[in-house]
Amino acid sequence: MRAYERVRESLKQGRTILLDGGVGTEILRRGVYWRCHGMEQKPEAVEAVHSDYIAAGADVITTNTFQLTRRSYLNLYYSLDHMRRIGAPGLEHRAAELTAQAVALAQKARTKSKREVAIAGSVSPLNHCYRPDLVRPDDELRSGHAETTAQLAKAGVDLILLETMNTIREARVACEAARDTGLPVWLSFVVGADARLLSGEALADAVRAVEPLEPEVVLVNCGPPEDITAALTELRRHRKGLVGAYAHIGKYNPPSWKAGFYPGFSHTEAWPPARYAAVVEQWLEGGAQVVGGCCGTTPDHIRALHSLLADRQPIPA
Amino acid sequence: MSYQAVRQRLERGEIVILDGAIGSEMLRRGVTWEGHKGESHPDAIRSIHADYVTAGADVLSTNTFQLARRSFLGHFCNEEHMHHIGAPDLDTRASTLIHDAVKLVREARDASPRKNEVAIAGAMTTLEWCFRPDLTPSTDAMRAEYRETVQAFVDAGVDLMLFETFNRWLEAQMALEAANEIGIPAWVAFVPDWEGHLLSGESIATMVEKLQPLHPDAILMNCAPPPDITRALAELRRHYQGRTGGYAHVGRFDPPDWKFTDEYPPDEYLEVARKWVEGGSTVIGGCCGTTPMHIQALREGLLQPTRT
Repeated sequence: MRAYERVRESLKQGRTILLDGGVGTEILRRGVYWRCHGMEQKPEAVEAVHSDYIAAGADVITTNTFQLTRRSYLNLYYSLDHMRRIGAPGLEHRAAELTAQAVALAQKARTKSKREVAIAGSVSPLNHCYRPDLVRPDDELRSGHAETTAQLAKAGVDLILLETMNTIREARVACEAARDTGLPVWLSFVVGADARLLSGEALADAVRAVEPLEPEVVLVNCGPPEDITAALTELRRHRKGLVGAYAHIGKYNPPSWKAGFYPGFSHTEAWPPARYAAVVEQWLEGGAQVVGGCCGTTPDHIRALHSLLADRQPIPA
Repeated sequence: MSYQAVRQRLERGEIVILDGAIGSEMLRRGVTWEGHKGESHPDAIRSIHADYVTAGADVLSTNTFQLARRSFLGHFCNEEHMHHIGAPDLDTRASTLIHDAVKLVREARDASPRKNEVAIAGAMTTLEWCFRPDLTPSTDAMRAEYRETVQAFVDAGVDLMLFETFNRWLEAQMALEAANEIGIPAWVAFVPDWEGHLLSGESIATMVEKLQPLHPDAILMNCAPPPDITRALAELRRHYQGRTGGYAHVGRFDPPDWKFTDEYPPDEYLEVARKWVEGGSTVIGGCCGTTPMHIQALREGLLQPTRT
């Protein structure tokens, strides 16, 4: 919590907070086998990703928990009974165990770094983040997000980052659940090329719907940089409070097997750090106070953003 | 062409051996799950097929589980979103991978002395996730997508279609209609629950009634533990006098890959399969978790030499 107080204070003073870059894509880029979010085969590689983001200058790092919920496993079966009958033992608890492990790895990286970065517990939609048509009924959203956010809080994250939210309905429910943990909440929407949520809902409506729940920062993420620029402009127009942005780079390249979430991005070389930083500079001009990178971005991108910020706002002694 | 030998044997009431798992066998051989790997590991995949031929399989299935345009499109909000943020070849990737997969299995077959007896089945599962009947697309979408995908298999040179791990009769109907229109023989395999129904809860009797007019060459049960296949086949035989068969999985689905267990080593799997044959089924093979050793056990245990 103390870690977050520093972030909050900086934001209050009008300073920009640097978020980390892609976590899943970076784990994959390092050749780790994507099973259990890479934490079964090589937990030390996941820790190294966090360490490298901290070293690159991130003020907030995010946990390796994207699309990691009880439902992520349940969705691959007909029913809970079916999962118990043909699934590996312990699948009901796997998401919880991996969530705890993911938070512990981020904490370990922070402890070793001796920098007091804040750890954001990453929470995504219960179903696929690009499929607003698959959003679950409210009661399932409520219990699902209550469970995940409580697990993250218990494991010791400093804030909850609800990210890549594709509908207003799920964003609201997730926001309520996250608030119930007592932790600060940041809320980020995934947008299309038209500066709307992937669901087609307007950002204006999204902002209006979530403001009463008082997320500390509202962001847009997981679109290509140009789309995020457009969406941020629209977000800024409708929100007086803090806003932020983080784009993905390259092209989403899903696997041909569908058995679970797989953060594959290709063609990222089209966005070297300097090019990405040039776009982020526009966001800063546009009023973004939290910036970072989504899928495909690397510690080098975050380092480039850190230099950009250092040039714009001298670090106090 | 090569289906003739298999069909003749089926018509004579002889046992036909289907191969075992492809995907889990790749895993067992250290090839990881996230793609079909035809491009990166052609030798590994070809040798899996070759090992199944050697083990005695009469029908080889392609390494194409879950390959259809929708397999990629389903990761995106819609087509426009896929074109905007997705890798550039996603529209055609499924048909490319199908083509590559068929090529590998043909190479394996053609290198075998048994090449004239062995048929190649284009393995295709439900357009959405095989265990989620609630996600079945609209009939219009299915009609178009089955036509497109079955055509891709036929163009690549399969001898028959194996529609497998289906969960509702409606989708099987769409698939069989496409195969009939295109003019390729087809088998259809359903995943059952543990009470003798389809996984969707639909009754096997209804499924038979709906599919019979479409004349599938065989109706099978697959991708459930052996006892569940036994139960479902008994129910199927009560309602269907045509050719039936089964192939069970062995082990546990451990997303994203497979957990191998020693519950059904080849000899015990054979004992279960004997019950299926005693019940009247003639197409027998293995699903996830089974290996060439399982297929060899079936071959040796189930087939009486037909002539000396």
